[in-house]
Amino acid sequence: MLSFSSCKKNFLEREPTTIVTDDQLWKDPKLITGLLANYYNRLPTDMGLTDQAGSQWRNMADYDDAMWSGFSNEEGRNNIVTYDRSRWRLYDYGFIRDLNLAIENVDKFGSATLNATQRTQLKAEFRFIRAYLYFEMVKRMGGVPLITTQLIYDFAGDPTYLQQPRAKEDEVYDFIASELDAVKNDIGNDGSKGRANKYTCMALKSRAMLYAGSIAKYNALLTPSIVTAGGEVGIPASRAKEYFQKSLEASKEVIAGPYTLYKSNPNLGENFYEAVVKKTNNPEVIFVRDFLTSKAKKHGFTYDNIARGIREDNLSSSNITPSLNLVESYEYLDGSDGKLRTRNAANTDYIYYDQTTDLFAGKDARLYGTIIYPGAPFKGLTVDMQAGVMVWNASSNSYQTVEGPDLGTNYTDNKPLIAASGPHRSIQEVSNTGFYLRKYIDANGGASTRGIQSDVWWVWFRLGEVYLNAAEAAFELELPSEALNYVNLIRQRAGFGENSLTLATLTLNKIRNERRNELAFEDHRLWDLKRWRQADKIWTGNANSVDAVVSALYPYRIIRPGDPTKDGKYVFVKMTAPRFRSPRFFQIFNYYSSFDQNVINNNPKIVPNPFN
Amino acid sequence: MKTKLYIYSLLFIITAGIAGCKKDNYEAPKSLLKGRVVYEGQAIGLRSNGVQLELWQHGYDFFTKIPVYVAQDGSFSALLFDGDYKLTRLRGIGPWVNNTDSIDVKVRGNTIIDVPVTPYTFVKTASYVRNGSTITATVNLQTVSTANLLESVKLYVFKTALIDDANQSAVTTVAASAIQNVDQSLTINIDVPASLSNADAVYVRVGVKTAGVGELAYSLAEKIQLK
Repeated sequence: MLSFSSCKKNFLEREPTTIVTDDQLWKDPKLITGLLANYYNRLPTDMGLTDQAGSQWRNMADYDDAMWSGFSNEEGRNNIVTYDRSRWRLYDYGFIRDLNLAIENVDKFGSATLNATQRTQLKAEFRFIRAYLYFEMVKRMGGVPLITTQLIYDFAGDPTYLQQPRAKEDEVYDFIASELDAVKNDIGNDGSKGRANKYTCMALKSRAMLYAGSIAKYNALLTPSIVTAGGEVGIPASRAKEYFQKSLEASKEVIAGPYTLYKSNPNLGENFYEAVVKKTNNPEVIFVRDFLTSKAKKHGFTYDNIARGIREDNLSSSNITPSLNLVESYEYLDGSDGKLRTRNAANTDYIYYDQTTDLFAGKDARLYGTIIYPGAPFKGLTVDMQAGVMVWNASSNSYQTVEGPDLGTNYTDNKPLIAASGPHRSIQEVSNTGFYLRKYIDANGGASTRGIQSDVWWVWFRLGEVYLNAAEAAFELELPSEALNYVNLIRQRAGFGENSLTLATLTLNKIRNERRNELAFEDHRLWDLKRWRQADKIWTGNANSVDAVVSALYPYRIIRPGDPTKDGKYVFVKMTAPRFRSPRFFQIFNYYSSFDQNVINNNPKIVPNPFN
Repeated sequence: MKTKLYIYSLLFIITAGIAGCKKDNYEAPKSLLKGRVVYEGQAIGLRSNGVQLELWQHGYDFFTKIPVYVAQDGSFSALLFDGDYKLTRLRGIGPWVNNTDSIDVKVRGNTIIDVPVTPYTFVKTASYVRNGSTITATVNLQTVSTANLLESVKLYVFKTALIDDANQSAVTTVAASAIQNVDQSLTINIDVPASLSNADAVYVRVGVKTAGVGELAYSLAEKIQLK
């Protein structure tokens, strides 16, 4: 009887309960916000704090700013013989189609319930996300097909009209610029950091145009320069100036906006840490991927990367450990070169320090704000580091180095042998370089446990970068005094005096080094080196090259009872990180990632990238 | 416990191996394609794993290249199924004039095929003499194409036989402007660096860099006894 009655209701024409139709979606502002959240969540990056949308936080260990000191399963990151041809590949036309559909559906389905302003605003936001995605694709692949409407198959048996050729590389950059200009006044979201607003658009334009300008300029200077006959790869050098100009204008628009550099904490090192990580009253940050513990949107980045000695969980920690290379790239505040002074001038003996932190006295405050060095504090605790002791042997007139198999141990004199945070040559989940990450590590209690985790945000754009974009573009445009103004503002925040650089001392390399210092672990270094066409010159694959090899710094306690000027003091040894295997090797074919053969098979109009 | 786990995993691998055999209805490829990258019968020395040739086979659903890397002595090899392949030289990958015409390769059992290329300038012969810690190379270059000009000639020293622009301990670079006549033999000196001075032997090699070309053309690596 029951089965009979159910038949009467149109059994085959029920409303599905698990699918939201376009009709329903575009009527409901909450569902539209949900859709936007989905799209923002799919923005790609190389690093990030999570593994999502192709990004992997572990990639931070794959270049020369850091190495992998964690679980040995990922040891391959210290042994990348060469970057793969397909590395950084991105060809996400599924996402492009979703965005194109959304832009069309706003009008198609939304006209009944949304007013014209709301629809324009929504379309602007979708177009921003699309521009961002195209930027991510063009910086990895070169010119890609520009698809701005949905492609519909007519079922006539011949799909070739759907196959679109690659646009020229500069056409894609031009498209990004014109899209951002077109939407910036409609996008709204004033004051929002999680959703794009006018200044987010201009920050993206500032970055994208800077990339286009430097590719135009430096690709032509590279031998062999990387071009295809159709311009899919390679921007004519004649356009460099125009792009730098656009970048500088966009940067100025952001600088004129409501943002200011974060300067709330008089402790400049802590101040720089907070400038990136602090989520309340942060006037510097423009656009982020946000997380919120109370809504269970959180991540394990702190659990995975907190310094070993202060971890709150019994596993993980210490995976990404900054390199000595990066530490030495931070200058001293008196303007001298950042090389750490571990040996005396004649290189005959160590320099003896009372405390491990003394070695880092007078360094750029951003070093403190980015990296935990031996003896530096973090969330009120001290991260002591000591790799062993050096015992003076009077008969041989030399030191005997003593290390050990465990952390947190004492030597026979009942003073520390190895500190709880290492460094250690072979134990996993202990720094192998003698440094730990501070940037993006959550200082709140419990954040490094798997149960609580962290909700520190990932910064896409902040004012610090825009200042450096402006400085670089101005310098390339031969406006050095303007460039100087911007770069000195950034340096002043890091503890340098006013006008620490002058017209006489400002060079392009200084500006580039500022970017490395300021934006470390914010997914810039790789792309910067690529667009400057420097990656193959720095990551040469040569084991003798100081840039291609990740170096470490190990502190030792001196035991030399006969000499009170040395006994109990600390010395430092520079070395190649013991777990590091293959020098970084970026080859000329890495400048543009290869296309998947399936993409070419399905669309023979795709021209392969040079050397791939 | 560890041993037990080890035995179990071993057992699992053996079982998987036995079970797997029944499903393998294809034999592994066993025809060896061998060859060299040559100019007038002389192999062009390269950077190991630097130059990639591509083999393509049409007519199957799964159409993707078989990458074939050229060893540093200019030789290459691949294990293949019998069939007809196309071998292509990608633009700009090696120290020679671009030629993207594909070469038909018929594989019927073991096959040998040499890939002809037109180098710019390459090392025809090189000989080495050691005097104390200094090694002197006498190099005869041959220029075939002047479409791109000679940039420099480099002499390398390294601890192993796998030696090239990236894997080297010391290098002496002679810029093209410092070479009076490329057709005459050229003498280059290099000091064995301190890091290798205790070794029994070192390896040396000469590379030729052509302007606008990424890869270098090398001589064969040669062993120099120090003791």
